[in-house]
Amino acid sequence: MENISDALLYERVRGKDKEALEELYDRYEKMLFSYLCKMTGDRDLAEEALQEVFVKVWRGVGSYDEGKGKFVAWLVTMSRNAAVDLIRKQKKPSVPLDEIAEVESTDSSVEETAEWQEKSEQIHQAVRHLSEEQQKMVHLFYFKGYTHETIAEKCGIPLGTVKSRIRLALKKLKTSLQMVQEGGVLDDKREL
Amino acid sequence: MTNVNCDQLIDYLNGTLNDEEQKQFEAHLAECPECREIVDATGELPYLADPVEPNAGMKSRILGTVFDEGEQPASLAEERAKRDSPSPPATMAKRGFRTSKWTPLVAAALLVSLLGNAYAFYELSDQPDAPTAPEVAFETVDLQASETFEGTGTAALVHEEGALNLLVQANQLEPTSGDQVYQVWLLKDGQPIPTGAFTPSQENEGAVFFSLDEDTEGWDTIAVTLEPNRGNETPQGEVVLSAAIDPEA
Repeated sequence: MENISDALLYERVRGKDKEALEELYDRYEKMLFSYLCKMTGDRDLAEEALQEVFVKVWRGVGSYDEGKGKFVAWLVTMSRNAAVDLIRKQKKPSVPLDEIAEVESTDSSVEETAEWQEKSEQIHQAVRHLSEEQQKMVHLFYFKGYTHETIAEKCGIPLGTVKSRIRLALKKLKTSLQMVQEGGVLDDKREL
Repeated sequence: MTNVNCDQLIDYLNGTLNDEEQKQFEAHLAECPECREIVDATGELPYLADPVEPNAGMKSRILGTVFDEGEQPASLAEERAKRDSPSPPATMAKRGFRTSKWTPLVAAALLVSLLGNAYAFYELSDQPDAPTAPEVAFETVDLQASETFEGTGTAALVHEEGALNLLVQANQLEPTSGDQVYQVWLLKDGQPIPTGAFTPSQENEGAVFFSLDEDTEGWDTIAVTLEPNRGNETPQGEVVLSAAIDPEA
């Protein structure tokens, strides 16, 4: 099961294979939970959001295929949107937006920590290539739980401008991430 | 490369396209490598967060809810309420499952957490090297009724920490008379062992929980018979409910 691609596992999930879903859950539990904790600032809310994501995956809500990009990116989008909804419903203020936090050492296995550190270093490096304004857009959209409408409102920028700025920021991020990854060791067995 | 569709990328990521627009954009996405690469890059963003260890018991709760297809997504608050006010397994049949559709995995996960199993303590003990995803394997099966039997049933099997926990629940059971009981069996290559018995409640429902500490692997069939009396080591009555189970599970 370990060497099966995400896309193939997802196909099995569509055939109601519980083990396949469990495998996908194991692969992304920590990554998504960490992300959702940062976004919501609340462990319980993060768990609730993660649950909604996997309920949707299991029920085939908004089905995935490889034409939509990498499976993990699809999961991240669903996770973000689940958290945005929950934050809005609870009227809970999201965590204060700080500078990009440095990764702290945690209680994980060495292997897991090493993988996280590598990924983390890559994305941090890629983000450093963005302008301050672009970093802000990414953080408001992905870590503060703001919709683009909210960003437009809070920053006093027209909605169309916000959208094109986020798009440009993500495009730049993509390019710099590719550069960083090509310069480093790529080890992403999940997407083979 | 930018066209009208590319401009919808952020609406797509924000989940604010309507169904029609969504379909159109997804068709675009499949054709536009640049948009797809941007989407792929967002999959790396979670690594900007500090790694956080999952909540204790989170996997069991989430997968329990996910596999419980009979109900709308239960709110986590309800799940926590259930978890925080457990009733002893022995009274499950009377107290637990009055609703028309049973929630086997939630219940199974709940039972596992009730039984004082090692890993819950392990997780709560906050050891630095505690595993985040304990080995728990779930399987649920709908039991098939024999031709003349009106009842329905579900079984949940939970492999955990070397034990096999089995939870069977049945509805619309025919009432028993005298010493009759519904007896649950696990079979391996046609050889049965008894795994708990029950009599129906006034609502014609019944449930039984059984835990095996040894010989937990390789069971291929689960069956319920209507036995003339309790305590038989081999079935003497008719099979009323049965299902194949995955011996590898």
